[in-house]
Amino acid sequence: MKDKGTTLNPRSSEPDKGKTFSRREFVTSIGGVGIGAVLGGMFVSSIALPDKVFAVPASGGYLLVDTKKCAGCTSCMMACSLTHHGETNMSLSRIQITQDPWGKFPNDIQMAQCRQCPYPACVAACPTGAMHADPKTGVRTVDEDKCIGCEKCVNACPFTPSRALWNFEEKHAEKCDLCEGAKFWDEVGGPDGKRACEEVCPMGAIKFTKEIPVQSEDGYETDLRTGTVWDSLGFGGAPQSGGHLG
Amino acid sequence: MASSKGYSGKILKVDLTTGKFEEIETEKYKSWGGGHGIGSAIFFDLCTDKTIKGTDPGNVVTLMTSPLSGTLAPSVAGRTEVQGIGIQAYPIGWFTRSNFGGRFSTQLKFAGWDGIVLVGKSPKQVWLNIINGEVKLQDATDLWGLNTRETQEEIWARVEPSKKESGWINMGVSRDSGRTTQHPAVITAGPNAEKFGPMAALVHDAGNGAGQGGFGGVFASKNLKAISVVGTGGVDIADANALMAARMWSNGYAFGGHHDDPASYTGLTSFASTPGKPLSTIQDNPAGTKSRPQGCVGCIRNCRGRTDTGKGNESQCVDFFWYDHHDVKANGHVTDASPRAADAIQLAGVNAFAVEAATLWIEQLYNKGIMGKGKKIDSNLPFDRFGSGEWAEAFINSIVTQTDIGKELCKGVAQAALAWGRLEMDTKSGILPLQEWGLPHHYDARTEVEWGYGSLLGERDINEHDFNWHVYWTPTINGLFGVEPVVSAKRLSEIFAKKTAPFNDPMMINYSDEGIYSEAMAKTVAWHRHYTRFYKQSMLFCDWAWADMVNPYGPDNEGMTSVGENKFMNAVTGGDMTFEQGMEIGRRIWNLDRAVWALQGRHRDIEKFSEYCYTTGAQPGTTTYEAPYTMPVFEDNEWSYKSVAGRVLDRQRVEDWKTLFFKLEGWDVKSGWPTRETLEKLDLANVADELEKAGKLGA
Repeated sequence: MKDKGTTLNPRSSEPDKGKTFSRREFVTSIGGVGIGAVLGGMFVSSIALPDKVFAVPASGGYLLVDTKKCAGCTSCMMACSLTHHGETNMSLSRIQITQDPWGKFPNDIQMAQCRQCPYPACVAACPTGAMHADPKTGVRTVDEDKCIGCEKCVNACPFTPSRALWNFEEKHAEKCDLCEGAKFWDEVGGPDGKRACEEVCPMGAIKFTKEIPVQSEDGYETDLRTGTVWDSLGFGGAPQSGGHLG
Repeated sequence: MASSKGYSGKILKVDLTTGKFEEIETEKYKSWGGGHGIGSAIFFDLCTDKTIKGTDPGNVVTLMTSPLSGTLAPSVAGRTEVQGIGIQAYPIGWFTRSNFGGRFSTQLKFAGWDGIVLVGKSPKQVWLNIINGEVKLQDATDLWGLNTRETQEEIWARVEPSKKESGWINMGVSRDSGRTTQHPAVITAGPNAEKFGPMAALVHDAGNGAGQGGFGGVFASKNLKAISVVGTGGVDIADANALMAARMWSNGYAFGGHHDDPASYTGLTSFASTPGKPLSTIQDNPAGTKSRPQGCVGCIRNCRGRTDTGKGNESQCVDFFWYDHHDVKANGHVTDASPRAADAIQLAGVNAFAVEAATLWIEQLYNKGIMGKGKKIDSNLPFDRFGSGEWAEAFINSIVTQTDIGKELCKGVAQAALAWGRLEMDTKSGILPLQEWGLPHHYDARTEVEWGYGSLLGERDINEHDFNWHVYWTPTINGLFGVEPVVSAKRLSEIFAKKTAPFNDPMMINYSDEGIYSEAMAKTVAWHRHYTRFYKQSMLFCDWAWADMVNPYGPDNEGMTSVGENKFMNAVTGGDMTFEQGMEIGRRIWNLDRAVWALQGRHRDIEKFSEYCYTTGAQPGTTTYEAPYTMPVFEDNEWSYKSVAGRVLDRQRVEDWKTLFFKLEGWDVKSGWPTRETLEKLDLANVADELEKAGKLGA
């Protein structure tokens, strides 16, 4: 389940006013404020530009994950489903952790979180507008009432496993909304609130940012270890040991 | 627990003889909480002759979850309790328990089951395949000789369809059948485990083992190789918001909540209890090995690791320690031999504690010229390379293939000693460290008596560190570093008194020469038996994080225990159980287990430690953790920490202490059997009836 990322440059979600955008830059970095202004307050979350480029506002934030730091406890998966559905159910989690018990570190664990793609193929594929970018925050999310269950969003997601998933209990698509719609949690979610997965991770392997992260073919280039106390835990190599006491 | 939240509602009963399945309603047994409590109650009801051997088809084996399995309760969600008549203890294979972590209980809950009950014996070799509500017994002929990794990977290949939907595994014929990205959770015995049954563990993923009891051998005796489960459902939570809040509260007691400013508390933060660092010192790999901490489902500790070599993955503590000190002695430092030794037992499915004791003993026999090529106990194992990976693998292989000294050791350590005519002699001198019931010495009954008494009056090495971290390790490590513990002995007694309802006696941690025979120590052992039977073995709070007694991140160094357990339970179930009510259920379970042992032949007259505990002080090289052994003592009206290493037990005073303990439990002091009055107060009149019928009811 290799996570094929897209190489992007770090960019602020706030666009530079007056800057001339290339088509590629537009689709990868346009900000929520800018597109909101373009749309003039209409409740539309995406537009088709004249040259058929599909553009949506940039998300107001992103989940960074340090796959090397993840302990595979899957607490994030349970927190996700708990806060969104009132049950702990890994199949309904919008973040997925997969692992091979006999694998070699760091390739034994993969963290699959929604990238809140600048060009969200899931949104583009949706025929009803159910999958959309929140007009206020830019977060890519699902209007469940509009979902017709075609799963085009699931199949369109360029990542494996698909970050858009089919909720087979409630019969609609769903995806990470940065906890904007976490109705079983009293905390305020979204880019200006808290994210359940980030809160519960005992390893501090998930971190929210409003900056579009650097990515490589293998995913985000995120290091939440180096220069911290976590360094002492052996990620970079165990010290010489004389065995245990006794 | 009034609420049904947290439970799946049904338990799967598998009759291996007929191949038929039944559902048992969890409701019938819910007063026992979950895990061990429900397992014991089902065993009592379904095992009609409790005097049979563990390999008898009539043995009833349970694998149970708890309402907290598959939830965010920290360091709870991944554990599974295994019970049945064991085949490891000597001379009687007691009704016993083991427990393993990982993801099995979580997947079982997600599949819609609170537990599995195995009865009978399959006419052919099978494995059990559970996909949500669909259950099948499938042919295991070609799996039988595979090691634990090969078995699991082969089962994954059979369960997981080759076609995946956008990376998701569709677990049925329609898109609404449920999808997952997770591998099935498989628990399996090693290759041909019936041939080394008393030494045989059950293993799940790379390093989760139910080691004690010989349950790998029990599975094999039922012609059952493995159980696989995958589920796409969830656990319904009564109060999701309260559970999230509780989880965040607990984070304040853990390293993860303080990584910007970790505690410098000597003795705990390196390896123990909730505040312990992830991974840390309990995994021994060669210098330079890169690794990550790795944890069971929902863990807040993540105590094991996975390495860049893939060796030693998920092993920890005794998985390494059975051999690492031999490695260090031979090579000067930890080498590749330590993770190779860990992998050898995991792949073969061999109990680490058993081989740890056996290896200490074998080393002594070899050094004395008793064992080796052409010696009285003839062996071609490469003793000239003792401490190497080759020796460790050859030794484990000898057990699995019943060759060389494995011809006898495959029957159990005590049984091998008996066959070689050394059992009495070597347990008297102490070179064969079998402390009680022919089971390996772990922590020392002579010094840390709550461990020894609990194991003796129970049925196995308790392997419960609730007191151990604080009364032994912390003061001992501080002593080794020459520093004064942050928590004084007096303060420690206050913390323990606060957290040990219903007794709440500060003298419970008095390990002085007088204190170990006191009524307060009887309260200690009773509290420990009741607490662990309910909270750790029924609710399945992990031993590596709970009880959380002393915590450098807590107010005045107090941990979560007596508050935290019920905070999580009530958030999940919607109940309002108090800590004391849980303790009372634990007492009920402990009495039920005691009744089963009575039926099996238990009497106070046979509850004796091995002779070395009464006659020989600890000797380096014969057991683990010999010296120093610094513990809290109350002497001359003052609390202090003091080394009690070298102490031996007084035979008569142990007997007198047993009498105190039996009185405290409401048991007959002459036999140690539960009385009708005690059992009826616990709503166990039916148990009293069965004991009376068997002539085993206490007077």
